[in-house]
Amino acid sequence: MTTAKSLRLALSFFALITLQACATYYQQHLDFNYEFEHGDLQQALNALKGSEAESKSRFLFFANKGLLLSVLGDYEESNAFLEKAFLFGEDYRVNYFNEGVSYFTNPNFTVYRGEDHEHLMVLYFKAINYLKMNQPQDALVECRRLNIRLNQLTDKYSSPHKLQRDAFIHTLMGIIYQSTKDYNNAFIAYRNALDVYENEYAKMFHMSVPEQLQKDLVNTAYWTGFMDEFENYKTKFGMQDYTPVQPDAELVFFWHNGLAPVKTEWGINFVIAPGPGNTMLFTNESMGMVFSFPVEEENDRRGLAALQIYRVVFPRYVERPLYFQTANLETNGAAYPLQLAEDVSKVAFQSLRQRMLQEFAKGLLRAALKKVTEQSLRKKDEGLGALLGVVNAATEKADTRNWQTLPHSIFYSRIPLVPDEKNEVKLKLLPGEGSGTDYSFTYQPQKGRTLFHTFSSLESLAPSYSF
Amino acid sequence: MKKPFAIILLATLFSCQQSVTRVAPDTQIDLSGRWNDSDSRLVADKMISELMASERFKEYAKEKGRKPAIVVGLIRNKTSEHIDADTYIKKLEVAIFNSNVAEVVESEEFRDKLRLERTQQQDFADPATVAQWGKEIGANLMLFGEMTSETDTSNKKRVVNYITTLYLTDIETGKRVWYGQQEIKKFVKNG
Repeated sequence: MTTAKSLRLALSFFALITLQACATYYQQHLDFNYEFEHGDLQQALNALKGSEAESKSRFLFFANKGLLLSVLGDYEESNAFLEKAFLFGEDYRVNYFNEGVSYFTNPNFTVYRGEDHEHLMVLYFKAINYLKMNQPQDALVECRRLNIRLNQLTDKYSSPHKLQRDAFIHTLMGIIYQSTKDYNNAFIAYRNALDVYENEYAKMFHMSVPEQLQKDLVNTAYWTGFMDEFENYKTKFGMQDYTPVQPDAELVFFWHNGLAPVKTEWGINFVIAPGPGNTMLFTNESMGMVFSFPVEEENDRRGLAALQIYRVVFPRYVERPLYFQTANLETNGAAYPLQLAEDVSKVAFQSLRQRMLQEFAKGLLRAALKKVTEQSLRKKDEGLGALLGVVNAATEKADTRNWQTLPHSIFYSRIPLVPDEKNEVKLKLLPGEGSGTDYSFTYQPQKGRTLFHTFSSLESLAPSYSF
Repeated sequence: MKKPFAIILLATLFSCQQSVTRVAPDTQIDLSGRWNDSDSRLVADKMISELMASERFKEYAKEKGRKPAIVVGLIRNKTSEHIDADTYIKKLEVAIFNSNVAEVVESEEFRDKLRLERTQQQDFADPATVAQWGKEIGANLMLFGEMTSETDTSNKKRVVNYITTLYLTDIETGKRVWYGQQEIKKFVKNG
């Protein structure tokens, strides 16, 4: 067989395979998503294929499995998978061969490394699992890991316009430290969380400081003996008459509301025209985007210019809007509103937004490389070049992988419980319109214990875009 | 056509691999500018030398007529970082123990464990070997401390000044017998 024939066969085969694999990550896992969104978690778990543990999306396999097992109450098994997801993040190294190949195919050829917030969420679920199993020392290990991850995040982005810190994770660290009676570290974590809510979260997400955080900050300042800070924060929050009371037992309740956004793809048409010197310019005037690429050979530049318009695809998030808007906990005649601590959906949008320029540059470089290769091949063999053009078009695909079983938002509250007695607690979920849904729980804590409970409501409104 | 190919092929040759090297524990390695092991070592070294050279501490020991017993009390952290004070307090404890200038008695947490063990020995251990009640050495001095930090930032520059203060207080009189202080100022430039 001649080289040209072998190449033709290989390209045809490659085109066939990639055409079948042009679905988004969500579409490729429709059976899993169907079961999960309908609340059949055991079936969803069964739909997760074990072979994915070795795949390029293995981080998502570990994370999904860990999250589902946690919701199902199998905390030890959940933590085994979440630990794998954590270690994946620790040991992840760029494979430059795959990176290189991805420029001639698409970014799905690379191993999915996980978004910053996804790596933080792995440790959140892990820490909560340990707290539910009453293993506070193990939860503290996760707390220290979270601290390292937060520091890495701050170092990664030097621009103050980028999301460098995570208010909820600082709050969570405070909650964990407080549960182990380490009020000093809890105070530091709460104070850091306050700073992030008041600055980054207020500006980027229009979020306010949870009232529960204000109370916890004042309490831990008092219990640590920081009386100046105690008085200052009381005044700042308008809590002059507030006196901290140590409850005999308490419950920290996290409400995982809705579902995180799904990544899909969108395309932009770029006009290709010669630029100054040996460059080609990719321009989209309506979006005000111009990218310049050096192309050494004149024939290649001419070939690219002949294309005039080229479509490049990029990832985008589609929100799954919340069905339930608010929720309350009721016990012993008192009501405690669950307060928004993290809008995971907005954090995801922000993280993609702040690296969109990088995504554009990558996408365009990929397009340029593909087209230059196609032009070169056309010069030698028009038919082969045309076939490569088909393969290039078929393989043009955005990376639509993300952790889609995460909640849309996390709400929380802290409520006092009566120790060594059965405490009946009612959870009331309220949608924007219509009647609410109630759930009842019974807790019987020992004296001095802090219990942890997470509740997931998977209901979402129909998204504005199909994926 | 050749150049982009060459760049990508070159990149594939240099795949990113992890390497681990063991270094001497006292090697100063600063990566992020946050509190690290070098800072803990600086604090411990300064505190140890100040305590050993303290005339007031020596006078106190002389007045007591025996080696004073020290218990570690509360070290408060008012910085914005989660710093484990044990990283330098334990070094200080070891230095005190080895220098023989004072006794170190267990902290509250470990005393509770010892008392539980002693309680159980009363019922289960050979009477000849049972640990007796009322033989604990009462501490004369309690070690307290505080860490504070001031941070000034502008664009990609940051100055942090950490102040660590330790003091020994006479449990009987409440009088402070010794002070040690270490300031560490860091200037961090990113990018």
